[in-house]
Amino acid sequence: MEDMPLFVLGLFASSIVAAAIAILYSLVLPGVERKVQARIQQRIGPPILTPGFWSVLKFGYKKRVEPNAQMPGLYRSLVYFGIGIVVLLFLFTTPYWWAVLGWGSILGIAGLLKLEEVLYVLMGSQSQSFLSTGMPVPDIAKGSKHIGIKREFVEQHSAERALKMMAIGSLPLYVALLVPFAMARSTMISSVVAMQNPGYALSSDWLSAPIPSSPVLFTLPGILAAIVYFVGYVMLLNEKPFSILKAKIDLIEGGVLEYASKLRAYYYIMRNVLMFALSSIFVTLFIGIPFDPFVPVMMLLNLALSLLLPLMLAALVAFSPILTFRQIYPAAIGLSAVGVLALIISLGV
Amino acid sequence: MTSGEKRVEIEKELSFGPVHPALIEPYRIRLFVNDEIVEDCELNINMAYRGIEKLFDGLPVERALLIAERVCGICSHVHAWNAVRVIEGGLKIAVPPRADYIRVITHEMQRIASHLILFGHAFEVVGHETFAMRSFLLRESFMDLISYVGGNRVMPSVPIIGGIRPRADLTESLKRVILERVDEFEEKYKGYVARIIEDPLVMSRLTGIGFLTKEDAIKFHATGPTGRASGWDYDVRTKMDEYKPFDFNVITDESCDTKARIVVRALEVFESLKIIRQAVKNLPEGPVVNRSWKAEEMDFTTALLEAYKGELMHSYALDSQGRIRNYKIRTPTPTNLAAMEHACVGDHVTEAILTIASCDPCLTCCTRAEVVDSGKSSVLSDLEIVRKYGWRK
Repeated sequence: MEDMPLFVLGLFASSIVAAAIAILYSLVLPGVERKVQARIQQRIGPPILTPGFWSVLKFGYKKRVEPNAQMPGLYRSLVYFGIGIVVLLFLFTTPYWWAVLGWGSILGIAGLLKLEEVLYVLMGSQSQSFLSTGMPVPDIAKGSKHIGIKREFVEQHSAERALKMMAIGSLPLYVALLVPFAMARSTMISSVVAMQNPGYALSSDWLSAPIPSSPVLFTLPGILAAIVYFVGYVMLLNEKPFSILKAKIDLIEGGVLEYASKLRAYYYIMRNVLMFALSSIFVTLFIGIPFDPFVPVMMLLNLALSLLLPLMLAALVAFSPILTFRQIYPAAIGLSAVGVLALIISLGV
Repeated sequence: MTSGEKRVEIEKELSFGPVHPALIEPYRIRLFVNDEIVEDCELNINMAYRGIEKLFDGLPVERALLIAERVCGICSHVHAWNAVRVIEGGLKIAVPPRADYIRVITHEMQRIASHLILFGHAFEVVGHETFAMRSFLLRESFMDLISYVGGNRVMPSVPIIGGIRPRADLTESLKRVILERVDEFEEKYKGYVARIIEDPLVMSRLTGIGFLTKEDAIKFHATGPTGRASGWDYDVRTKMDEYKPFDFNVITDESCDTKARIVVRALEVFESLKIIRQAVKNLPEGPVVNRSWKAEEMDFTTALLEAYKGELMHSYALDSQGRIRNYKIRTPTPTNLAAMEHACVGDHVTEAILTIASCDPCLTCCTRAEVVDSGKSSVLSDLEIVRKYGWRK
């Protein structure tokens, strides 16, 4: 018990350092993603720092625009909740948090991810931009074949799609997440890392560099689960081909449409940190290299390998159309089946 | 509702536009949906009036034809050509064969550029940015060629009454450049089309949606590639004297869906390449313009031409001083609109917008009449114009 104050101090220090590095690093990821896409499309693309860093800074200085949401206060607060959720999601996978109330477990990760998904439903149900039903066009006065029909904002339709994606779209990611835990026969992240990287311990020396001896990624169930995780990652980030809840051609930006100026900057931070957090979780769970701010080599390795998923995402986005629910349902069911197969194999390993 | 009519349950209405990032023109889509399924659709145009038909009234015919070219930026040549065909038909003005060939070459070049714009837009709607951007990249070859011929990428101003502008005449070196560019383009374009057809994700988005049967296409008079993708082999070019020297096929498809509309256009590009090659290789010698004509009184005359999106009609009369009276233009989109509304029923919401885009609408060109009366500008329907000012005096 006499170590408790030291542990709490370490927890605070590691959390502040990790959150700061995560936010700063995540601001670079969109630039990398856009650059890869541009090269595929034979374009030069924007400078690396522009889409993530400078655009966030730019929006921070824009004039404040009040959203036309039903409850503007709630709508504004959702993005702050979002940042809190994704930062906590990332922190839960850093070593100091593994020992705190069991949050460093699959339950902590899955619970926060579900909360993050719920945010899009709430955002969509709140937002009421003028780009659809609110547009002052005299077509109501001119009449229609269908009288007295409920008119819906595109954001509300986005909320309905977010609900569907919550129900089925995120299933593959959760199934894939289970595989490393099933292989470690534990719900704790510490056990998953210990199984892959026995040399790593919380008390690792500053300059130590324990290399994982048996990463989950290099096993059959691991590779199957990694594929499913990657597609689930794309689904959770609402990126193409699974960006139906913010399809530009109909719903424009979906529930986040009314986030402007500072709120838009915060939304970008939320989205970027989520992208990094999910990549970092992948490196921690499937390769066995956690983000430990007090072991620089491990931290740098985690950061470097966390580029893998955004790079693959960029290539996928460049070559994919937006899928509708006609394709998303069978894709999600098929991928979940692959995930379940990986789970069954992992239980036998 | 009669007993035989199918009862349609509508849960809600979703409306998009006229200001919307994905609708590149000012129109409004009202979708009446059940969950994600479109049960009915209403396309509202009339969001941007330019009053261009009114601008023609009273202008000398030569000046008016410059305005005709500006009806549309994508179809500029076809409007200019059809405008001169009206007077050439009405006053029996002979056009030298060399001029006809060069008009056809420009027409087919712009058809390719137009179809590639559609691919760019359709793949943007599908969400496949890479295919969209490659399409615009490919289009550049023909934008360059159009500027070499006409001196301008968008408004080449090639046709004039009785022929073409002398500056648009093809030199031997330009003929060589055109043939080389056409060969280069064809090779790249084949690869592009193959990649689209072999992409299962893209094909899954295009196949089996936006059905428009041949009967419906004929009923709504959905002309151009939209009708041909429903198996209706209607192409005004087959009836035109200007196209008699050329061997080409009218591409049709019986699939009647969105994929068919894309595929028909993709294959039409190859036919256009074939026509351009024939026209350049067999270009007759001789003058490019016949200036022995005089503007005189002409009764209402109509000319039809196969524009890139469908059948185009221009119609006007000339008074005794050779000034234009009652210019009327019917672009392909007004008749294709009803087909678009019909085709997207049964699609998902996201697919419905793709179905509309696949019919290649050009909506700003649809409505042109504006009446300025006692200092106040107001927009009247055709019927109101007739009631107020009488029928084409």
